[in-house]
Amino acid sequence: MRPFFDLLKKIIQTGVGKTRFLMAAVGLGIAMLLILIAIQAHTNFSQLLYSSKNQNETADFLVINKTITNAMMGQSAKSIFTPEEIDNIKKQPFVQAFGLVTSSQYKVVIQAPGDLHFATDMFFEAVPDSFLDVKNDDWKWTAGDRTIPIILPNDFLNLYNFGFSLSQDLPQISQETVKALPLQVSISNNVVSDQYMGHIVGFSDRISSFLVPASFMSWANGKYGMATATGTSRVIIKTPDPSNPALVKFLDDNGYTTNQDKLKFSKTRMIVQTIVSVVGFFGLILLFFALLVFSMFIQLVIASCKKEIQLLVILGTAPKQLQRYLLKQFVPLYIIIGILSLLLVAGLQYWAASELATHQMLVSSWPGIPVFVGILLVLWLVYIVNLATVRKYVNNI
Amino acid sequence: MQIQLNHLMPIPLQDKLRQRSSDIWNQDVTFKPGSFVKIKAPSGTGKTTLIHYLYHIRYDYTGKVQVNGQPWQAYSKNEIALIRQQELSIVFQDLRLFEQLSARENISLKRVMQPKAFYPPEKIDEMAARLNVTHILEQSGRTLSYGERQRIAIIRALVQPFQWLLMDEPFSHLDEENTQRAAALIADECKARNAGFILTDLDNDQHFNYDVHYHL
Repeated sequence: MRPFFDLLKKIIQTGVGKTRFLMAAVGLGIAMLLILIAIQAHTNFSQLLYSSKNQNETADFLVINKTITNAMMGQSAKSIFTPEEIDNIKKQPFVQAFGLVTSSQYKVVIQAPGDLHFATDMFFEAVPDSFLDVKNDDWKWTAGDRTIPIILPNDFLNLYNFGFSLSQDLPQISQETVKALPLQVSISNNVVSDQYMGHIVGFSDRISSFLVPASFMSWANGKYGMATATGTSRVIIKTPDPSNPALVKFLDDNGYTTNQDKLKFSKTRMIVQTIVSVVGFFGLILLFFALLVFSMFIQLVIASCKKEIQLLVILGTAPKQLQRYLLKQFVPLYIIIGILSLLLVAGLQYWAASELATHQMLVSSWPGIPVFVGILLVLWLVYIVNLATVRKYVNNI
Repeated sequence: MQIQLNHLMPIPLQDKLRQRSSDIWNQDVTFKPGSFVKIKAPSGTGKTTLIHYLYHIRYDYTGKVQVNGQPWQAYSKNEIALIRQQELSIVFQDLRLFEQLSARENISLKRVMQPKAFYPPEKIDEMAARLNVTHILEQSGRTLSYGERQRIAIIRALVQPFQWLLMDEPFSHLDEENTQRAAALIADECKARNAGFILTDLDNDQHFNYDVHYHL
């Protein structure tokens, strides 16, 4: 084929509109670069979020409740989750584990012992043990125990120590002291009243509530509970990724609310995703126009050599040979452009990886597999479009 | 390779041709492989048209041109190209050389068109020497005289494998001596391949030992 193609080179001039062709080639290069950068940015971002190398474990616990609006005030039933709503939450893909927050259906009064003169009305809540961030051997209760282990919210002690005690001229209390305090807990309904010992076993950052073991809660609700069982107004979920925009949207759509601080990463993530998508989108648009110009260039080459190509066919040149010859004029350039943009992306990635590493954010210093898949796909698309164009116009001769 | 004509009739010449008898038009004709066929035709009786029908670059006819038992229309473009590379060669009346190629390149084009060349490149010089065109081989097709072009076109037709050679007034621009040389070369090349040819011309001639004569 070689000598024949050498002769074809003299007959079929591919020199017409060379500048336009080169500009389209530059456009193709930029398009490939943008697409590859978008793909790689996406890969990097997921690596930062999910890779085990980046230690910040993102799985998180969220306590979810309905937003209390003015219209709902005074109607506590409206803040209660119906069984359908609970099922709906459970089956969301981002919910890894789900637990109900059970509240007490009895009155609780806590008294500090001795001279502290401290007594307060209280309430208890319970969550399944797996949702707790306090691990303590004392965190158990079996029927008949007179001592109830209690977990307080960390915020509660802080509020007391730095807000209340200073203003009231009361002593500040350390966590250890609180844990050592024997509390008197009186549990009552309108009929009976019993005395228990309360023992603080830990402080939770995760759940802002006064927690008792679930076993005690169900026993006590059975024993002291008032006739009308109140429903669940708070649930707790474990989610692998609190920044998941789908989670935020789900909460918004249903009028649920949670600790907003934990969701703030979601906004950053959406902004990054939008930018990456826009870059990728422009890449695709540019690719489209590059393909268009290439097709028009091929058309121009074939049209300007129409008489020569006709004579070649008459003399016995197969359309297949012409197609192969024409593709051979263009395809190597595409492959070179592909390799160049791949090298550029590899360089950028290496630079980005070393920059990020200084901020303890680890990403691979090589482009990921999606980039290679992407470049192959783009080259394949360019080839297919060229082949189709060449075929169409050669066969029309 | 067998070439058969079944009631072949050019549509534009239909009315004119029905008024006279012809050995070819509207007849059933089979060209025997390997035979030297002369078709004598006065001007305007469709000589070039017939050659173009046989080579399948004109299609405005009724009836059939069958190649190896199948009408031309049954072949794909790629199959037709293969036949033109391997089985059927041609010398056009209007020669049809590429002006942007040199004489040698014009000939080479048909030598290297198929993946495996039939003749080595030296064969071109040998044939050019026999037809007295060695000195113009490197000249551009644009600068050649008609006689030179005709000889280049003949050589181009002979550097490929074929079973049939179609020739449309192949010696129209050659003097007697060069005609003899060209005819001898053509006859030798056909014999070497056991190939036949179909030659159309205006008059009777003694250039070849024809096996069959037809009047168009």
